[in-house]
Amino acid sequence: MNPRGPSPHERLITKLESIADLSAEAKAALSALPIRLRAFEENADIVRQGDRPRECGLVVEGFVCRYKLLGEGQRQIMSFHIPGDIPDLQSLHIKVMDHSLSALTPTQIAFIPHAAVNEVTRNNPEVASAFWRDTLIDAAVFREWLAGVGRRSAHQRIAHVICEVYVKLQSVGLADGESFQLPVTQAELADALGLSSVHVNRVLQDLRRVGLISYRGRFVVIGDWDGLQAAGDFDPGYLHLKDGALQWN
Amino acid sequence: MELTLQPVLVASGEEGDGVLVFRDRHLVAILVRLSSLHEEQAGFWFLEKGFGVLDGPQHPIFDDLHAAQVWIKARLADHVGKPPWPNAPV
Repeated sequence: MNPRGPSPHERLITKLESIADLSAEAKAALSALPIRLRAFEENADIVRQGDRPRECGLVVEGFVCRYKLLGEGQRQIMSFHIPGDIPDLQSLHIKVMDHSLSALTPTQIAFIPHAAVNEVTRNNPEVASAFWRDTLIDAAVFREWLAGVGRRSAHQRIAHVICEVYVKLQSVGLADGESFQLPVTQAELADALGLSSVHVNRVLQDLRRVGLISYRGRFVVIGDWDGLQAAGDFDPGYLHLKDGALQWN
Repeated sequence: MELTLQPVLVASGEEGDGVLVFRDRHLVAILVRLSSLHEEQAGFWFLEKGFGVLDGPQHPIFDDLHAAQVWIKARLADHVGKPPWPNAPV
């Protein structure tokens, strides 16, 4: 972790403030949550299907996915997560993990005991409401992905997920203008979007060819934001960000 | 089980070399040869589209057409007489 980067608590507060209003009291309560930091290597599981976690994992640095393993070694990735997200917040109330979380890059997780999360939500309805809102937005993202996997073309799915990651990073200040890191392999995009890696490669090359995106080292640079949104049938409404959470609003 | 191959051009957005794969005059699969777009996998054969029991989320890549035919035959043999192969009683 970059020692000069935001603290885990700052990450969490920035994320929650992108979707909800937080009072000084709520922020103080969140800042007092006890955490235990742990580093995960690329491709390491953070929590596995069947586990009964006693703590929630806040992403501090890195890039995380939710996934399920299916027959014949197939994997379905169901969401991507960035710093500030708590992808297993639901383990607070759903005791057995019905999917796994994996680090797609070297990742730093701040584990917060369930008891502490329960206490802060009991004592601070505003925090409880923000967590609930976050969980509901999670469900909205699943609905959007379901619509995409079921009914969008390969081009639309890939353009859409690029837009989604960009907007999420932008909303917590982790995009640099119109460039951002998308640290996923083509195989991982394929597993997320129900495509083959051959199709993913074809579409990415095509998006580059028409100037919607380009690559600068490990960064994706958006060449034509309106065009990319149109190509992905993307409307950020389902992310339910607060007005003003995005710089261009 | 015999498979027959028929060269074809496929509008996949790449160079387009492909083969139609038939069993008993039924089209069971379309394979395409990966272009230089795919770097180290260029020249390999990709299951672009399978029909019947070969239709599904898996799109394997094969070193050559022989390997592709071995895989296709194995899949078809596993499913002889089982739905959704059309020989099966419904």
